[in-house]
Formats: sequence, C-alpha cells, structure tokens
Amino acid sequence: MSNAKSPLQRLNETQSAYLLLLPFLLTYGLFLIYPFFRGVWISLHDWNLLQVAFNPDAKQFVGLDNYVRVMWGRNIEWSPWARPVLQVLGLLGVVASVALNRTRRLTSLTSVALGLAGAALFLISGVHAGEEGRWFDRRFWPTVGNTVLFVGLTVPGVTISALLIAAALNRETRAMSLLRTLFFLSQVLSVTVVTLIWQIMFSPRQGLIANITELAGGSPINWLTDERFAMAAIVIATIWWSLGIAMILFLAGLQDISKDLFEAGALDNCTGVRAFWHITLPNLKRTITLVIILQIILHFQVFGQSHLMTQGGPNDETQVLVRYIYQTAFRDSELGRASAMAVFLFVIMGAFSVVQFLVGREEND
Amino acid sequence: MLSRSYYWLVLALSIPAFLWLVPTIWMVSLSFQPNDVLARTTSSTFLGLVPIPFTVENYTALFAFGQTPMWFLNSIIVALGMTFGVLAVSTTAGYALARLNFPFKAPIAVLCLIGLMVPEQAVFIPLYTMFSDFGWHNSYHALILPRMAVPIGVFLMLQFFKAIPKDIEEAARLEGVSWIQIFWHIMLPLARPAMMTLAILTFLYAWNDYLWPLVSAQQRDYFTITLGLASIQSNFAQSEGLGRVMASGVIASLPVVILFLIFQRYVVQAMTAGGSKG
Repeated sequence: MSNAKSPLQRLNETQSAYLLLLPFLLTYGLFLIYPFFRGVWISLHDWNLLQVAFNPDAKQFVGLDNYVRVMWGRNIEWSPWARPVLQVLGLLGVVASVALNRTRRLTSLTSVALGLAGAALFLISGVHAGEEGRWFDRRFWPTVGNTVLFVGLTVPGVTISALLIAAALNRETRAMSLLRTLFFLSQVLSVTVVTLIWQIMFSPRQGLIANITELAGGSPINWLTDERFAMAAIVIATIWWSLGIAMILFLAGLQDISKDLFEAGALDNCTGVRAFWHITLPNLKRTITLVIILQIILHFQVFGQSHLMTQGGPNDETQVLVRYIYQTAFRDSELGRASAMAVFLFVIMGAFSVVQFLVGREEND
Repeated sequence: MLSRSYYWLVLALSIPAFLWLVPTIWMVSLSFQPNDVLARTTSSTFLGLVPIPFTVENYTALFAFGQTPMWFLNSIIVALGMTFGVLAVSTTAGYALARLNFPFKAPIAVLCLIGLMVPEQAVFIPLYTMFSDFGWHNSYHALILPRMAVPIGVFLMLQFFKAIPKDIEEAARLEGVSWIQIFWHIMLPLARPAMMTLAILTFLYAWNDYLWPLVSAQQRDYFTITLGLASIQSNFAQSEGLGRVMASGVIASLPVVILFLIFQRYVVQAMTAGGSKG
C-alpha cells in the first residue's frame, strides 16, 4: 500500500460506507424500487402498450378501474354454500387449526396461518356472480384457481417425496452422496430444457410414456391436450424439476437433529418407519413449514411450464396467473390491466414472504 | 460396519434414482440418433434409452448452421456479466452494512430487506416500459442490469462479513489503513468462499432465466440459449428434426451441469442459501 494518500484513503467511515453502498443502491433504486412504484402507477391508468409507445400522452388516469375490471363484476354476491367443496375445506382448515393448537400439535403461528388460510378459502370461494350477473373478466379468477390448484398439487408432491428421499439418504457414505447427486441433477436444468424433455416424454406419438403404455398393451394418453391430464402433466414435470432443492433443505434440517435421539430411540426398538414418524417428523417441523412456504412462493410464479408445454390450454385448464399477466400485457397490449394483476400477485407473494420471515425468525430464537 | 439393511436400502433407492435420471438420459440418447430414424420411431434400442443407431450429425449440424452457437455465446456473456455485476454491488454493499457505522444504516438495511419480497414477475412490465423509453431492449445490458438490483446477494455477503472477528479490522485501523483498503485487501480475500457461492447462484439464475429475456430480447440475435431453445421447441418435429432440438437441449444444459458436477458443494450451498432466503 502506497504512502501517498489518495482521496479514496482519506475518506472517513460514513463516506466510505456510502461510497461502497452507492453501486448497489443505484441499481436497486433504478431497477427494483422505482419499477415497483411505476408498476402501481401504470395499474391506475388505461395504458395501451402500442399507443403509448407512439404517443406518451395516450394514457389516461382511471383510478382503480383496472382492479374493478379485473377482479369484480356485475351483481356479485356472497353466499355460504356457493362452492360447497372448497368452502367445507376452508371450514375444516379453521377447525383443524383450532383443534391442533389446543392439542399443541402446531405452533401458534402455524395454526394462525392455517386458520387464516381456511377462513380466506371459505370467504373467497363463496363469492359468485348472482342472477343476471357476470364477471367483467371471466378468465381472471379461473386463472387464479388454476394457479392455486397447481401449487396445491405440486407443493405436497415435492414436499412428501423430498422428505422421504432425504430421510432415506441421510447418511454420509459415498453411495448415498451419489444418489443425492442423481436426484438433484434435474434441479440445475433451465425451464426450457425441462419443458423440452417433458413435452416429448408426454407426446402420444413419440413419447417414452406412450411407448411404455403401448408395450404394456394400452393406448397412449394425449397428456398435454387432454383436459383431464394437462394439469397433471405440468405438475409431474415440475415435481421432477424442483425436488432437489427441497431434498437439500430437508437434508440440512436432518443434520441438525441430534444422533443421540435416534440412538435412544433404537434402544426402545424405535427404528425405520417408526423412527421417521416419532423422531424425524416432530424435529423437522419448522424445516417442513419453511420448505412449504418457500415452495408456495416459488410455484405460485409458475410460467414456463404452462407457457411452453400446454400454452395455457386445453380450454384454459392450465392457464396460470403469470402467463395471463404476460399475455394481457404483451399480446393484448393492456398494460394497465396487466399491472393491476401484477400488483395482486405482489400482494399474495408479499403475504407469504412475511409469513416466511416470521417463521424463519421463530426458528432462530 | 455397514449393515446388510444398508445395502438393501441403497439398492432400493437406486431404482427411483435411476427413474429420476431417465428423462435426462433420454434427451441425451435422442440427441445422438439420426433424425430420419427418430421420425419413424423413438424407441429403437431399449425404448430409445441407448443411442443405437448412433450419430453425431445433430451436433455437427448444430454448429454448422443455425443460431445455437450464437445464443450460447450470448448466454455466456450475459451470465458472466451478471455474475461480475452482482459480485461487485453485493460485496461492497454487504461489507458496508455488516461492518461500518453510518447514519441511516438501519433504514437502508430494512429497505433492502423489503426488496426480497418483490418478485420479478411483479416488476417486469414497468421494467419493460422503462427499457423501451431508454431504447435499451435487445442489448446485453438490458438482460444484465435488472438482476443486479436483487438484494439476495447483499444479504449473503452481509451474513458472511458479520461472522468475521472484529480484531483483524481494528488492528488494521490502528495502523492507519483506510476502510476502502481494509475492504479490498483484507475482507475480499477472506470472502472468497462466500463470493464463490454467490457467483454460482447468480450464474445458474442467469443461465436459466426465461421471463425477462423473453420480454426484452425480441431479436433472435440477442436470444440467450434458454430463450432460443424455447423458440425452437414449439415446432420441433417439423422444422429441424427431433435429434437436433434435443442436441440443442444438451448444449444448453452442459455448462450448468458441468458447473454442478465440479462445484457440487458450492451449488448445494448456493441453492440452500438462495432458497431459504429469497
């Protein structure tokens, strides 16, 4: 280090700190904070992508109109039994949260979350268009429903299989680490490679699955264009793709469980499946909660699988929220409405991020 | 030492592990089979899992014509650019937030924490209009800059710098070493493992990113390999032949798979850190 002091070296602590923070704060402000508020601002305008591109004044302030046009309709009513299955499920969630909290099977935070989710399901699914009424945007809520269904199928699928595999692989031997590598490998592939592989896997004419069904004497299923199977197909591809990260998080959680517990359990003849049920699961509760929240946040933003494998079809069965936002903005040029949906997405993701933060902090205590 | 039940367990787990690998093996195997055979059947040998009849024509064709090599190069440029950019802004900001005292430190830290909640999908429309106004679409910096604004890297580095003992720094301060020099000559060399983790996390993200390149890069010359692969897969059977599309898929996966196999420990760390924090 030279003796002659350059201006950089004469800076005091505060000046140094701001100088070091500057590059990040500049990009952060310009490419995240500002766009976020600009997005909210766009959502308050009737904003056509093409018209505004030619003439910046072609936008018009419309207040909350876009939100109404996306999420509301004429003669919208609420009744307790509009969608019995979903609403009963919601009520069951509320009951379960109270019961499990009483018996201390769940932490208070988790049960509050479960209770709120149940109540929300009960209330939201009771909303429907009344007589002579209709939604202004017929596709929005079904799209949200598809996204929730996708999350509801993928997250348990990934969580349960990753948990079982992680519990079985929790040994520091060479064979086990090789197996871990095999399970994790698909995680590093890009979404377009994953969709490429599974599109052809599912193809009724050329696909591996069709080839196997034909060998077994069955007739191949048209997975991606059949309304009954399209959602299942993108869920299967997604589970295959994203199992690795959940497995790794579970393995990290398993490392923290003291070996003494298992040894003590073995003395009481508690091994194998029983050890998994009575020792592993209770001690892994927080990790499981975190992995579930993480997966919900991740998979709620699903786009590529739906966009590339099924193009949202057949008959909008696999249309998901981010794809609808993308289409509304860049095919229909309706930036205002698309931005309103993006704000909706942000609110939901933000709520889950807050829960994630709280659960994560609880874990550190 | 290892019991018999252990070997049974390994054997039992090998079956699902192999099944898990089958789709990938299939892609690789198809990429080594001639297109005219694939047009007839995809299950020549062992359901097509073994590339017989064998050819490397798909790969030579890929590099002779088509845009795959250029897309590959674009991906390399964008991924490396993003990695260095993220490292630069994250190490500096992470160090300042972890080790220095200055006015408004807490509000700035909270502001960064809030940014973790904003998903890319919530800002890609305003970003699109901004970059249109600047006339920046179809360029490398348009693909790189938005990702540099993500605070996850800052938090990774912040946590790392916080764990370093204070006395190293204090001794240097007594010697009259400036904060910037401490950062550059003492802290950065110490931070190499954390920087490695962050670099791999960023590179993987950049390589696999799809939505933003899809919106921003409309000219095929600026496609990344991930985006290019999406553009050819919708009509793969007709246009170029299944084998060639699969070869593109293999090429597109090669860098991240190699990275993963070499730096497995870092990749797992990176994804655990990235996964559990944002």
